[in-house]
Amino acid sequence: MSHTSRRSSRALRSATAVAATTLSLALLAACGSSGSSDSSAEAKSDGKPVTLTFWGWAKGTKDVVTAFNASHPGIQVTFEEIPSGNAGGYAKLANAVKAGNAPDVFNVEYPQLPDFVSQGAVQDISKLVGADLKKKYLPQALDLTTLGGASWALPLDAAPQAFYYRKDLFEKAQITPPKTWEEFRTAAERLKAAEPTARIATFFPDDPSTFEANSWQAGAHWFNAVGTTWDVRINGAETQRVTDYWQKMVADDLVNVMPSFSQQWTASLQKGETAGYLGASWGGGVLKSNLPDASGKWAVAPVPTWDGKPASGMLGGTTFAVSKDSKKAKAAVEFSTWATTTEEGIQARIASGTSSAFPAAPALVPVAKKAFDTAFYGGQDIYAVYSAAATSIRPDWTWGPAMGVTNTSLKDAFGKVAGRTDTIEAAVSGAQKATVAELKNRGLQVAE
Amino acid sequence: MTRPLAPRTGAGPGPRTGAGTPAPGPAGSRADRPRADRPSTARTAGRRGAPALLLAPFMLLFTACTLIPIGYAVHLSLYTERRSGLGFGGTVSVFTGLGNYTRALGDPAFREGFLAVAGYCLLYIPLMLGLSLLLALLLDSALARARRFFQLALFLPHAVPGIIAALIWMYLYTPEISPVVGALDTLGAQPDLLGNPLPAVVNIALWEWAGYNMVIFYAALQAIPREVLEAARVDGAGALRTAFSVKIPLIRASLTMVGLFTVIGSLQLFTEPMILHGAAPAVTSTWTPNMYAYSAAFDRNDYGLAAAASVLLALTAAALSYAITRGGRAGSSRRAKAGA
Repeated sequence: MSHTSRRSSRALRSATAVAATTLSLALLAACGSSGSSDSSAEAKSDGKPVTLTFWGWAKGTKDVVTAFNASHPGIQVTFEEIPSGNAGGYAKLANAVKAGNAPDVFNVEYPQLPDFVSQGAVQDISKLVGADLKKKYLPQALDLTTLGGASWALPLDAAPQAFYYRKDLFEKAQITPPKTWEEFRTAAERLKAAEPTARIATFFPDDPSTFEANSWQAGAHWFNAVGTTWDVRINGAETQRVTDYWQKMVADDLVNVMPSFSQQWTASLQKGETAGYLGASWGGGVLKSNLPDASGKWAVAPVPTWDGKPASGMLGGTTFAVSKDSKKAKAAVEFSTWATTTEEGIQARIASGTSSAFPAAPALVPVAKKAFDTAFYGGQDIYAVYSAAATSIRPDWTWGPAMGVTNTSLKDAFGKVAGRTDTIEAAVSGAQKATVAELKNRGLQVAE
Repeated sequence: MTRPLAPRTGAGPGPRTGAGTPAPGPAGSRADRPRADRPSTARTAGRRGAPALLLAPFMLLFTACTLIPIGYAVHLSLYTERRSGLGFGGTVSVFTGLGNYTRALGDPAFREGFLAVAGYCLLYIPLMLGLSLLLALLLDSALARARRFFQLALFLPHAVPGIIAALIWMYLYTPEISPVVGALDTLGAQPDLLGNPLPAVVNIALWEWAGYNMVIFYAALQAIPREVLEAARVDGAGALRTAFSVKIPLIRASLTMVGLFTVIGSLQLFTEPMILHGAAPAVTSTWTPNMYAYSAAFDRNDYGLAAAASVLLALTAAALSYAITRGGRAGSSRRAKAGA
């Protein structure tokens, strides 16, 4: 080895050492600065604004935060966009809560809220949520944020189910949006016959929330709080009906089986191989922002029902929760109230062009409707469809306190359904078992 | 001081010996030394001080980053969280002894994770060792051209971070978006690359690690004394015979080491399947024991179970590495005896 090369390798080594040191110092500094900003924000008396940290992923949130910060000099919100809950957002949140550096406010969907409360990650905000505020929300949505008699979060949107479909492909196959699940199957068959590569919808093996909404719509009650006992009936008769139906749809290859919101799914929508989407109100904005080239081709219809009468479950739906250790609950609730119940808050979200949230505060539906550009849906009044669906949401649904376990169990088993190595029925009974075992392990009383 | 200075005959420069200390003899004699010959206590302190000082930064980091977390994990694994009523009134941490361990071991998903890793090892280790050894031997052979280029080109995949590699491969595996799957589809084959996760993950790992291990083997091969190879040639051994009877036995230590690292690395299999998990439902959230621990902690918020699963995994890794190093040593001493 020549002298020069030896010297240069030594130089390289010391450069690496310097880089490593710099990096670790930067990391230390980063840790330090987050701590100090918290303490400085506490000092509201000296005229400095309260700074809130906020994690979420709902479409249009960035615009909402910008609008809020512009109109509220006393409270400044720092927004960090995290992956959607199902795609790792909840894991990130749980991690942060455990590590003691959770944001002041975060978005959590209705199904996961009880789990977060049960983990001790959420603050009881009953004292900050007055009767006047409660009156502004749709009762079904408010019920889902009230657990054990206390208020834990403010609902942003009610998420009634809806069926999105490609008008051109439906016309080609001479089908109209189905009103019942039976018609839905017939339509799926016709579509496949007319266009062998096209399917009417997708079974999402990675995300059980559509299946759960369908069970809710069918009249199932997976969880009931009876006194201090949890009554768990994930594999009840109503769910069985949904299970059998979807098992046949998958087995007969009438629906695609792809992960939700994956590149694969988006590509199949772009190619017209997926001609429909069983989603919820918020899905309208997702389709619009994912498929800019398909503008004008899509339409929305009420979700099919078992008896032809309007009925809906809720698919997802976002709430604003305050983390357990936040010392800025008052400011956090003020921000959440603004984001969920004011014209400006809803206007900013929908005007972002990516959100079609159906406000949980019914008075604001006209605001959302006005702000949403319906060109993607050929000018269709999609909020009229959502409004009708929202009134048909079945009441008295309760989410369990361990949906993390329930959903993980369902997801893993649905993965085997995708590989045709297991059935949806096995997945549902597996979830029942796993959930009951988990509740017992947590020391809760369970009835089956 | 009548004794001569430490003899320079030993291998390498021996430690500088002080007055009155006998020169370090050949290995093995140190234990027989009478205690009275030891240096004065002050000197011992000085001599012990230096290693202690030099070791301090390592020990400090080792304690902070390894021992304390392990201790904390063991502590966590002995507790579980209980709630009362409907479960919304907060949590109480309760000592459960080995409860979390029995729960982990009793969970078929956890056991299946070990099976998946065993299957992965069975497929991956022979392929990886074979491929990187083959590449190293080819590079080392007299026939190789453009050695530096191939060395770099084969090593390059290892420079790609595991997450990026997994993302790239995920893209190549996913139907609808992958050009590879698209091309295979037009040829009439309809591969379900994601439906069968084991080969998919093995392929990613091979792509990442074969080049790296090749470099290790190649370095070991380069260290073989050229006389030995010449002697083999003089004795009439061809290239193949030299490779199998001379080169491979001489780099057995590297083979054992790479094998050991690979087994431990396989037990910790996480990044690649975790990335594939997003696109391939067949890769469940508990596909490997490491993923099981992750899912227990962050999907199910069961830190006790996660800690217990991690401790069990660590114990398995420790037992396996002990067995492999023991096996490797026994093998080499047997060979040494046979040679003597």
